[in-house]
Amino acid sequence: MIDLVDYFLTLIVTAMIVNLGLALYGIFFRPSMIKKIIALTILGDTANTFAIILGYRRWPSPKTPSRPPVLVNYTDATPDTLKEFVGRAVDPLPQALVLTAIVIGLAVTLFMVFLTLQIYRAYGTTDMRKIKKLKG
Amino acid sequence: MIDPQIIVLGMAALAALVSVIATYLAILEKNLVRAVVFSAIQSTLYAFLYYVLMAPDIVLVYIPVAVGLYPAVVLILISKTEKEEKV
Repeated sequence: MIDLVDYFLTLIVTAMIVNLGLALYGIFFRPSMIKKIIALTILGDTANTFAIILGYRRWPSPKTPSRPPVLVNYTDATPDTLKEFVGRAVDPLPQALVLTAIVIGLAVTLFMVFLTLQIYRAYGTTDMRKIKKLKG
Repeated sequence: MIDPQIIVLGMAALAALVSVIATYLAILEKNLVRAVVFSAIQSTLYAFLYYVLMAPDIVLVYIPVAVGLYPAVVLILISKTEKEEKV
């Protein structure tokens, strides 16, 4: 008897590994620079998803789901409610890192977009095979 | 009675598998506008995956950035450069 929770989590990780491979193929072997930018965003999102899966926690029991790491009513928090929160909430550290990484990824993508625009204005093409052969 | 955790993670696994198809189409599509649309579909499925994996704060940032801003910026870039990828 296989554990279905194990099976689904393995399926998610496998799909993410396939997405990582496809994005790397797009970055290395597609000639258009715009396609490379699209593949780079997919690669970054997939890496972020790996970080989120790393911080995920299974449900403590079938009736009590795990929780987002947000303490809702912190004014009347007793040691018991805090213990219950720590026992159920997922890890907040990867989520904080991913939040930063998404914003940094946006800045990097905007930089790549303007780089591509300048290359198109200077050389008249976004094909890497043609840009590679140009001199000066 | 089915365990609710299995239903939730099953939907997440389905979203992950569909996102593989969307990524495949986005990478191999010749028309760049359609590639951007497939990339936006992949981002929507990732947002659902983040929601199921208990990260609603990431979803609130990720949906405007990855479904709104990325495709808009790349579509502006495509309108100023080339619309087809010649392989």
